[in-house]
Amino acid sequence: MFKRNNKLSISGGSAGFQKILALSTLFILYIFFSIFGNNFFSVATLVNILDSSYYIGFLALGMTFVIITGGINLASGTIMMCSALLGGVAYNIWHWPIGMSLALIFFVSTFFGLMNGIMIAKLKLPPFIATLGTMSITMGLGAIISKVMTMRYPTVTDPDGWFKFLFYKTSGGFPVGAVWLALFLIIAYIILNKTIIGRYTFAIGSNEEAARLSGVKVDRWKMVVYTLDGFFGGLAAIMYAAAYTSIIPSTGNGIELYAISGVVIGGTSMSGGIGTVSGTLIGVFIMSVLKQGLMAMNLQGQWQTFFTGFVVIGAVLLDIYRNKKANQVKKD
Amino acid sequence: MKGIKKILSLAVAISVFAVSIAGCGSSQPSSTGNTSSTGADTSAGGSSSKPYIAVISKGFQHQFWQTVKKGAEDAAAKYNVDMTFDGPPSESDINVQVDMINSAIAKKPAALALAVLDTSSVTQQLNDCKSKNIPIIGFDSGIPDAPEGTLFATASTNNENAGALAAVSMFEDPTFQEALKAASTDKPVTIGVQSQDATSASIIGRTNGFINEMVKKCETLFAGQVAVTGHEKFKKAASSGKAAVNIFVTIPPSSNATDSQNASQSLLNTKGLIAAYASNEASVNGILAATTDGKDLDRANGKYKNITVVGFDAGKAQKAAVKNGWFLGSVTQDPYSIGYLAVELAAKAIKGEAVEDVDTGCKFYTAKNMEQSDIAMLLYD
Repeated sequence: MFKRNNKLSISGGSAGFQKILALSTLFILYIFFSIFGNNFFSVATLVNILDSSYYIGFLALGMTFVIITGGINLASGTIMMCSALLGGVAYNIWHWPIGMSLALIFFVSTFFGLMNGIMIAKLKLPPFIATLGTMSITMGLGAIISKVMTMRYPTVTDPDGWFKFLFYKTSGGFPVGAVWLALFLIIAYIILNKTIIGRYTFAIGSNEEAARLSGVKVDRWKMVVYTLDGFFGGLAAIMYAAAYTSIIPSTGNGIELYAISGVVIGGTSMSGGIGTVSGTLIGVFIMSVLKQGLMAMNLQGQWQTFFTGFVVIGAVLLDIYRNKKANQVKKD
Repeated sequence: MKGIKKILSLAVAISVFAVSIAGCGSSQPSSTGNTSSTGADTSAGGSSSKPYIAVISKGFQHQFWQTVKKGAEDAAAKYNVDMTFDGPPSESDINVQVDMINSAIAKKPAALALAVLDTSSVTQQLNDCKSKNIPIIGFDSGIPDAPEGTLFATASTNNENAGALAAVSMFEDPTFQEALKAASTDKPVTIGVQSQDATSASIIGRTNGFINEMVKKCETLFAGQVAVTGHEKFKKAASSGKAAVNIFVTIPPSSNATDSQNASQSLLNTKGLIAAYASNEASVNGILAATTDGKDLDRANGKYKNITVVGFDAGKAQKAAVKNGWFLGSVTQDPYSIGYLAVELAAKAIKGEAVEDVDTGCKFYTAKNMEQSDIAMLLYD
């Protein structure tokens, strides 16, 4: 046990370094676009940056836990879309009240999180394969239940549109979604750093076998982590519905890559055992600033995708370099 | 010490990266042409005094949009305005388009021209423009059910008419008539309709326009024996209870090429199929992919030689299929006019002139008339 704690303190410091690097990248990018972008330095753009990061932000928070255990969730984006679609079906077709429909979103996403957990922890499927399967299942299921029809959530002018004011933006234009994101950042931080869930998350990711031998019920805690990830998927789904209103069936694959990118840019190691939730959000904001900034320079979305690739590769290279360094220290 | 060196080199790398973006930013308008030539100076910080019009389309992937863009560029040059032309990578990317519209509004445009993927997803933005007095012009499928007072005018094809034109042209074809007349309630025939989605108003309009006109025409031969089946949105039972003519609507699960092709494949193998109508370029591409670029529809020796196909839009492969007689013909819109008139309406709205909706028109082209100059100019590659 002592050894594990010792390793923890090393990894914490190391992730902290990459976090500072990510934070400075974020500021440099922001200043850069403020100088060269067309009307980039404005409150409106700042709000746009926040607006377009909510759903990826929540997905990435959940993904951080999963990646710290050394796992991955490729179904993250499709679970979000599937639960949003099902909530939409409940609201539009079964005529459930909006509150119940939102509750269904959580139920569905948490269920699929649990399903991932069971497949990975109990059935011993590799996370990559298990969640690849879930990706297909959720994408298909959403399309089946919605009968391939786009599901619409109430707009701001609708009496049920209150949920947008509550989760996305107040009628005065205040980006209340940012408050939710901040709140859940704190909650995720506490879970990861102050509770047993977080401690075992790191333990499993650092050395699963060692954790098992120390008496950690690895299977159970893995299931908890994937279920938690599912819950964050539900939050993302509500944010997505509040921000974009219409949910198209058979979409959502590809979004998980942005969530994974955010996590990696933020300094979480793909090999597990190292990571912070605040770094993850910085990673998400870097992508968001890139997106809005490139648009302010009249460069289209494909340029964002292109440059995000470089940032991700840079972050992973840094991770590899850091691991090498850590190993050297150990040998010495 | 080694670590500090690494950090420094990384910092340098980041600055190089940043400068390279700057390079792309300023050279971009001329290199990839996403921005019109007249809009070059907006990217440098918006110091220009010309009014700025942001045009946001539904996509870029089809040649159709490139022609729309050309029309928009020509109008921007004529009316001396700055113009940018953007669009999401695919027509399922509602979130990307919403972000684009948000970003365009942050640039404080004098007017917006939009072809929205989904109106309810941008209600807030439309109201926002209204309160900021930014005129909004719709183009192509426009902004169906826009909140009152937000939409100034729309430049678009009347899709119901366009769909009806496809139905009339198909119905007047002698081969089709012959196959249709052989139908009975014991041996019903099927007319297939492939539609990209049941979401976009333009596609629903073309599908409905075709179905309604075809039902009307077929009812003259088979009163009360015409049914519409397939997708729930369009379903209609035959009034006599038994159908001799069955109009079957298929909608692939997504707009991607494989799904379109699979849908077309199963449509073509439907028993009793005598004709098929594809209501946009993506659906046509599905049919072309399922028929070896249309070759299998050859009237003399093709695998599906008895099936009469009518398409929609143009594009290289579809034009070839029409030219070879594999397709009976296709309905074309006028994308150039759509782009041109959209920017023209926007420019007029900025000046405070009254604007109203314009129909940008459509034509049915066949192997016989597609070389005529008035038709040829509408057929983009």
